[in-house]
Amino acid sequence: MTITTTVIGSYPKPPDEGEAFVVRQTLHKIERKEATSEDLVAAQDDLVRSIIAEQESAGIDIVTDGHARWDDILTPFARHIRGFDIGGLLRWFDNNVYYRRPVCVGDLEWAGASSVDAWRFADSVASKPVKAVVPGPISFARLSVDEHYGTHEEFVLAIARVIAQEAFELEAAGVRYLQIDEPALLDAPEDLPLARKALGIVTGELKVEETEVTLATYFGDAKRLGEEIFDLPADVFGFDLVAGPENHPIVDLLPEGKKVQAGVVDARNTKLEDPHELADEMFGLTERLGADRVRFAPSCGLEFLPREKARAKLAHLAQAARRAETKGA
Amino acid sequence: MTTTKLQGPGLWTTSVGSFPKPDYIKKARSRFAHNEITRDELLELERRATKEWIDFQNSIDTDLVVDGEMYRGDMVAFFAEELPGLEIGGLVRSYGNRYYRKPIATGPIGRDHAITVDWWRYSQSLTDKPVKGMLTGPYTICDWSFNEHYATRRDLVLDLARVIRDEALDLERAGARFIQIDEPAASTRMDELDLVIEAMAVVTEPLSAHTITHICYGDFHNAYPKLLDIPVDQIDLEFANSDYSLLEEFSDHPFTKHIGFGVVDVHTHRQETVEEIAEGIRRGLKHIGADRIFVDPDCGLKTRTVEEAQTKLTNIKKAVDIVRAEL
Repeated sequence: MTITTTVIGSYPKPPDEGEAFVVRQTLHKIERKEATSEDLVAAQDDLVRSIIAEQESAGIDIVTDGHARWDDILTPFARHIRGFDIGGLLRWFDNNVYYRRPVCVGDLEWAGASSVDAWRFADSVASKPVKAVVPGPISFARLSVDEHYGTHEEFVLAIARVIAQEAFELEAAGVRYLQIDEPALLDAPEDLPLARKALGIVTGELKVEETEVTLATYFGDAKRLGEEIFDLPADVFGFDLVAGPENHPIVDLLPEGKKVQAGVVDARNTKLEDPHELADEMFGLTERLGADRVRFAPSCGLEFLPREKARAKLAHLAQAARRAETKGA
Repeated sequence: MTTTKLQGPGLWTTSVGSFPKPDYIKKARSRFAHNEITRDELLELERRATKEWIDFQNSIDTDLVVDGEMYRGDMVAFFAEELPGLEIGGLVRSYGNRYYRKPIATGPIGRDHAITVDWWRYSQSLTDKPVKGMLTGPYTICDWSFNEHYATRRDLVLDLARVIRDEALDLERAGARFIQIDEPAASTRMDELDLVIEAMAVVTEPLSAHTITHICYGDFHNAYPKLLDIPVDQIDLEFANSDYSLLEEFSDHPFTKHIGFGVVDVHTHRQETVEEIAEGIRRGLKHIGADRIFVDPDCGLKTRTVEEAQTKLTNIKKAVDIVRAEL
C-alpha cells in the first residue's frame, strides 16, 4: 500500500532562529530605496527553493511553492484582473491574520497570468510535482466587495471566467495538479448550485485528460453542504478534519472515482500530534476509502505556524503515512 | 458592579490605549533587541515617552488618561512574557512584511508578580486625572496564542481569566478606579461569545473599579445586543470607521451600559474636522445620555504618527467642548 501526502498551499517564510530572512530585509531595503524589485524576486526565488526542499526532504509527494510570493491568496490574482481595486485589511476567517479585500469597480477582465511564472519557477526547482493553487470564485466573491455587478451570481460568474483563463494558462504551462480553494463555501450552502456552474466554467477550460482538480475547503466542516459537495466538478475533495471533525461522515459518502484530500495534521496549532494516533487515523481512512482514494495533508495552509513547527508537522505527516503503510502491508 | 463616575455633565474624553511610539523609542527597542543598550536604558526612555504622552493629555485636559503603552510590543506578548505557562514562540506573519512572535501555552498558566502596576503607579503620579489600568482579556490572549497544554480552549481561557483578575485586583489595590480589559478577539467567533462572557465574569466579579472592555467588532449585527451581556460597566466601540452605522442597532435594542464612543478613524491619515466629530457625538446623544458617554478614537492610535495622533485627540477635545456647551 502506498499513501500519498501533500500540502494545502501556504508555508511560513521566516527561517529558524538566527538565520537571515532575506525577503524581509529586501522589502525593508526597497522601502529605503536600497534594493530593487529584481533583488526581491531573487530573494523570493531562494525562499521558494528552500520551501520546496523542506517539503521534499520531509517526504511530501505533491508540493507547492508555499505561496512564497503572496501576501494573501486573493491580492495576487486581483492585481491581474482589470476591474478590481485592492481594498483595506480584513481578518482572514477566524485567524489573527489579515488579507486585503478586493473591490470590484468595473467589468472584470483577465489582464495576464498571475501565477504561471511562479509555478514554472517552482516546477523547475522541484523534483516532486508542484500543485498550482487558485482562489475559487465563490470564496473570491464572498471575500470581496462588489460595487459593479449588482448581483452575487453575475459577480461570481465574472470571477469564474477570469479564473478559468488562469487555469487554462496554468495547464498550458504544464500544471497537472490544480487546486481551487473554496473555504467560504462551507458557510454558504445556498451557493452550491452557483458553485457548480462557476467551477464548471473554470474546469471547462482544462483540456488535458490527466489534469487533476482538487476542490479544497478548510477552517470548518461541510455539514451544511452535505454530500452535495460531491456534485461539484472536481476529482479530489479537500476537507479539514481538525477544525471540522464532522467532515468524517461526509468523507464516507465519497462517490466512486473521486478522491479525498484529508487534512489530518493541525496546521493552526503548534502541538504535535501523537504519531501513533495520527498513523491510526490515517490507516482508518485508508481502510474506509481505499488507499488510492485518499491522500493526506495538513488541515490548511501551514503559514499559521512558525517555520520550525511547520517543518516538524510535515515530517510527522510523512512519517505517519509510512507507519500507516506498514500497518496495511 | 459599581460605577465610579467622573465629575461634570458627561462626554468625558479618553483614549482606547495605545499611542504612537516616538522615533527614539522605536530605535531604542531595536537597539535593545540587538543587545546594544540595557533594559534599564530602554526603560528610562519608555518612562520619558510615557511622561510626554501624559503631559500632552494634561495639556488638552483629557478626563480619563491612558499611559499610551510605550513599553509594549504587542498586547498579547507583553503579558505572555510575564506569565508562567506561556512561552514566546517563533515568528508568525500577520500580513505582508509584518510578523509577530505568537505565544504558546506550554503548561498551567500562573502569575508570580504584578505586571502593569508599576507602570500604572508611575503614570498616575504624572497627572491629577484618573489613569486607566490596561489589561488584555483572557479570551484574546487565548485566541492569539497556540495551545499545547490545555485540553480545551475554555480551560485555557478560564485559567487566563483568573490571572488577569488577580492583576486587576492589584491595580485596584494600587488605586486604579478605571480598569480596561481589552477583548479585540471577542467578535471573531459568535459561537464563543458565551465563553468571552464567562471569562469576563471571572475577571470583573470581585472588582469595584469602573470596568471597560474594548472590542473591535467583526459581525456587530449578529453580536448585538448579546454583547451587552459581557459583565463590564462600559463597552468601547468603533463608530467613525463605519459612519456611525452601529447606532442603527441601538434603535431596536437600547445600549444599556456606559459607552466608549469612537469618533475618529485610526486607520487613516485624514483628519476628521471638529464639526464632523461634533456631529458624530450629537448622533450618539440621540441614543445614549451624555452621562454615559466617553468620547475617544475608534481604537488605539499606535499606527498613526505622533503628530497625526495629537491632532486627532485635539480635534476630539474641541468637538466635545462644542457639544458640551449645547447640553
